[in-house]
Amino acid sequence: MTIAWTIFQKELADAVRDRRTWTIALVISLLSGPAVFLLVSNFVSGVEEKVAKREVVIEHAEYAPTLVNFLQRAGATIVPAPKDYREKLRSGSLGNAVLVPPEDFEQRLERGEQVDVEAVFDDSHDKAHAVVSASIRLLSGFNRESGMQRLLARGVGPQLLAPLAVREINLAPSQARGAQLLFVVPWAALMVAVFGALSVAIDVTAGERERGSLEPLLGNPLSTGALVLGKWGVVMTYSVAIVVLTMTGFMVSMRFVTSETLSALMQLQWREVGIFVALLLPFAALMAALNMLAATFGRSYKEAQTYVSYIAMAVQFSAIIPVFLTVRDAPWQVFVPAVAQLTVLMRALRGDPVSVPDLVIPAAVCIGATVVCLALQARLLRRESIVFARS
Amino acid sequence: MIEVTALAKSFIGRHGRARTVVHAVTDVSFRAQDGRITALLGPNGAGKTTTLRVLATLMRADRGTASVGGFDVASDPVSVRAQLGVLSDARGLYTRLTARENIAYYANLRRVPAIEWSERLARLAELLDMRDLLDRRTDGFSGGERMKVALARALIHDPRHLILDEPTNGLDVTSTRALRRLLRHLRDEGKCLLFSTHIMQEVEQLCDEIVIVAHGRTIAHGTATALCADAGAANLEDAFVRLALEAGERGAQREQA
Repeated sequence: MTIAWTIFQKELADAVRDRRTWTIALVISLLSGPAVFLLVSNFVSGVEEKVAKREVVIEHAEYAPTLVNFLQRAGATIVPAPKDYREKLRSGSLGNAVLVPPEDFEQRLERGEQVDVEAVFDDSHDKAHAVVSASIRLLSGFNRESGMQRLLARGVGPQLLAPLAVREINLAPSQARGAQLLFVVPWAALMVAVFGALSVAIDVTAGERERGSLEPLLGNPLSTGALVLGKWGVVMTYSVAIVVLTMTGFMVSMRFVTSETLSALMQLQWREVGIFVALLLPFAALMAALNMLAATFGRSYKEAQTYVSYIAMAVQFSAIIPVFLTVRDAPWQVFVPAVAQLTVLMRALRGDPVSVPDLVIPAAVCIGATVVCLALQARLLRRESIVFARS
Repeated sequence: MIEVTALAKSFIGRHGRARTVVHAVTDVSFRAQDGRITALLGPNGAGKTTTLRVLATLMRADRGTASVGGFDVASDPVSVRAQLGVLSDARGLYTRLTARENIAYYANLRRVPAIEWSERLARLAELLDMRDLLDRRTDGFSGGERMKVALARALIHDPRHLILDEPTNGLDVTSTRALRRLLRHLRDEGKCLLFSTHIMQEVEQLCDEIVIVAHGRTIAHGTATALCADAGAANLEDAFVRLALEAGERGAQREQA
């Protein structure tokens, strides 16, 4: 244990003096929180604003005064379509549908005919979805109203046309709305745990081989177990510092979020921060051990970067899995690192209850895997091909 | 005392896709006494470094035995490492630490009390003429400066035995002289010194005993004068060439048979 402590102290001093490591750590942890929040809240509030404004874009509004009248009564603001609206729709700078009534709109309406109204939009832009459907919903409202008037004029009760009266009752708690989008927050936190201490993990393993300092180091009467433990301690310390910094960044940025919808959507109070930390610390421990194990195979810093990038890629992909799963929260999810963390974090953000096993099982899996990785690395360091093969 | 008996070690080498067995050491035996400087002299690829790595317990021999101070390298590696100082061909310093911190790291790993090692370091710095280096970060150190730090690091626990792999490689005259001075000093303290080299002058100037290694075998063992007499040569260089040549012929005959 004394030996592991000596190694820890030395590696910490060494890492602290490495400006490269610090820059990466600070940039990742301090910027990721605010950046993510800025993006998400900008997205949410942009949609909010447009829907709230109820803008309806019409080309040749003068062709359809009845429609315009209806829309204005429904509280919408009529905006004349710009000339090059198709271009603007495609580029996304116009995030709404453009309604195009025909020239003979009024005459055909009067004759009781069906009038073709085009709604032109581009649904490849996510932001437009909500606004476009709001505009189209308004058209259905117009349909209903004038249809009913026509039926009444012929002495027919309007109920005949609507055998079903559908009342929508949304059971999702207010936070669950739009939570799919918010997977970005736990995902970013997870990535910080993966990448934050990567350069330290490589430096204490492949860096040692590249410098040629591993051979003399192993000539000391120490167990490779103590060596690995001390080094892992430093990587872990770095990871923890970065995760904590990032969470602080999240909390601070959350204060500046103006969108009420977003604050209602996402719970990020001290309870959630506690859950984040409880989930991310064991995960960071595993990532530290796994990255170190992979980097030990590298004869140089550069070679090791290739190996750890496989891990980073695997984590990135598996962390997205829960977002696309049709079955929400399948029982196996808590047993798979990265998937488990993301699943439970999203659940916490949605405001769903998080049980004790939800926290304990992922932690136990991570800690078990960490021990295995460290033991493997301790054995690896006794291999002649690792000690002597240098680039 | 360092003792090596019938040591053998081979590696799997790769020639493109084909795998070949490389016999780095086939039969090396010698004894390095306390209070003497013993040289492992041989051409490049003779098996010197492999032999030293086995002694440093970082490689396991296929056959044969090796012991340092009576401890077997295979069965008790930790005791061997405890009384051994090694200057390997990998000098490997931590460039973000100062020379003193590099040395202190090893002293702490070997649990040498601080008072003890700082006194020893002061003496070593004097002998190696490196006092000015101690509190500088080792980034950008020259080959000679790196050797001095690595040597002080290998000696910080005052080991009874010292192994040096080609210590004068890439050193200038002043560094080489500082090294020689220190090695003589250590010998006079009664320590057992073993170093590998392929440089004749170094051996003649410094060594009490010479072990000539070629093609993975010990081919001669003795003082410089004895070796010259054996080979009927006027100087060590001629003796070395003659002995190595004969051994090469014997090896070729053995392979034919």
